Amino acid sequence: MKCKKDTFYKFLVVFIFIAVWEAASRLEIVNSLFIPPFSSVILALKDMFVSGNLAANAGISIERALTGFIISVVVGIPLGYLLGGWFSKVNLVAEPVIEIFSQINPFILFHVLILFSGIGEIPKIAVIAWTCTWPIMFNTVYGIKHMDYSVIKAGSGFGLEGWKLFWKVGMPSILPSVFVGIRISGGYSFFMLIAAEMMGASSGLGWLILNNQENYAIRNIFAAAIVIAFLGLFLDIIIQFVENKLLGHVSVS
Amino acid sequence: MHEEIYEIKNYFQYYILRYSGVILILVLWQILPEVGLLDSQFIPPFSEVVVQLCELTLKSELMVHVAVSLWRVIMGLIIAAAAAIPLGLLLGGWLTRAADIVNPLFRIFSQVNPFSLMPIFILFFGIGEAAKLAVVAWVCLWPILYNTVSGVRRLDPVLIKTAMSMNTSKFEMLKKVVIPGAAPSIFLGLRIGVEMSFFMLISAEMIGATAGVGWLFHNSAMNNQIPRMYAAGVCIVILGIVLNRFLIYSQNKLFFWKGSTHVFSFAAWKKNVSGFSKIQLLFVVVVVSAVIAVGSYAAHVSKVSDINSNSSVQMKHMQMDKKEHDHMNMDKMDKNKTHDYMNMDK
Repeated sequence: MKCKKDTFYKFLVVFIFIAVWEAASRLEIVNSLFIPPFSSVILALKDMFVSGNLAANAGISIERALTGFIISVVVGIPLGYLLGGWFSKVNLVAEPVIEIFSQINPFILFHVLILFSGIGEIPKIAVIAWTCTWPIMFNTVYGIKHMDYSVIKAGSGFGLEGWKLFWKVGMPSILPSVFVGIRISGGYSFFMLIAAEMMGASSGLGWLILNNQENYAIRNIFAAAIVIAFLGLFLDIIIQFVENKLLGHVSVS
Repeated sequence: MHEEIYEIKNYFQYYILRYSGVILILVLWQILPEVGLLDSQFIPPFSEVVVQLCELTLKSELMVHVAVSLWRVIMGLIIAAAAAIPLGLLLGGWLTRAADIVNPLFRIFSQVNPFSLMPIFILFFGIGEAAKLAVVAWVCLWPILYNTVSGVRRLDPVLIKTAMSMNTSKFEMLKKVVIPGAAPSIFLGLRIGVEMSFFMLISAEMIGATAGVGWLFHNSAMNNQIPRMYAAGVCIVILGIVLNRFLIYSQNKLFFWKGSTHVFSFAAWKKNVSGFSKIQLLFVVVVVSAVIAVGSYAAHVSKVSDINSNSSVQMKHMQMDKKEHDHMNMDKMDKNKTHDYMNMDK
């Protein structure tokens, strides 16, 4: 009962925020040119949606973000396993290199890649993949280093060996911290996407914001910002859902 | 794994082995463009970049740009911390139910991209420092807030009960139990905030600024001064590493009673068993205040000169660029290149 009441309050808070926004703008407490009322933002959103402008750009943005994100998952997890401490010499040498690489700002990479491949899709996807790889990798390494070794011993005691041990015991015990990394990366992917699209693109949501900024279409900026925020939220919820499905047995704090 | 590191008694050998990967990459960077496997116009050899870096440090105001960037990070962090830590303590400690209820709204907020807010920040604050500080503060705010709330919530209940049974007042409880207990988590939030905001700051400076290392990088990229661009890039990377190491170091120093949790072995390499000494503390305070002083001065100057004599500053830059030799060389190289291409066409 209490739980239901809380959900109601949660929606109420969001609703109150929107109401305050609407009222403040309508009553000119804040300059309504700079912060247009929520209803007009929704109208702008509807107009953009009807004209097909929004859906096309959002589609392109989602495609870029997901491509980069999937690349980073595919690269980051094996890299994390490699650096997890099984080959200590490799680890010793690779750590400083990885430390330097993880500090290379994606936008430095962006400009360098533009020199080579031009302002195409590659720099944007590379920027996202580059940024998202590091949290996944670091969290995988962290998971391996803080693994419960008695579980591994128990597994091998039951006669599991090699790949079977890895799949049945090693993988599931690291997965929670891998998912922490994946969630952080999911957040990063949209952050980076928008910035990359603002710097050099002719399509996508970031470009849409830049374009509307140049046309002083404030309502459209807010509309695009709302869409981006909800896309990010949606991705976060999906990742959390997958996490809960996969790790139902682990209490995720 | 750590035991094995400790086994290598010879520090010299250890460091050679440890940084052999880095050295290999730098050597490759030097050799490949010189041999011609990589286009030396796009990737100049490492030595050229180092020369450029030295030149920038001595002749031009690289240090001022660094100070301006660091100033923005520090100021943004202070603003964010001033807002987020009290709010986090309040939500985590006393208004736990309210924290649950506000959570969805804050989750939506934290997903709002600082870059999509950039145009709106500019509308409110102008293209000055305030817009950049707002971006940095916005980015820092959420990790600090979340970590403060979770730090307070995960306090050992035994500690709180003990304090309550001793009839401590609420203020005493906050001062003696809650804040020290949540401090490691808060510091973790600060660290994440600094790292992310440094990330964001560089790109914010690229999009619109007149000073800072991000601007230096972007400006050189736009003017096609490739060695200068790489020099600025190397500078940003070094700055990032130093910042990161300093934060991990001070985390280990401040919370020496907790085990180090970083994944890399350098964090566990030397065990810090004490807090900061007074001299170290003094040093940190002096450096930070120097950065704040120089940065705020430089940021102010750049803003004023921007308003008063934007064109003259740019003219100066143009003249400086013309004086620089490698720019001229590059023009020549460009011509050679075009000749080559034409020959190839023939």
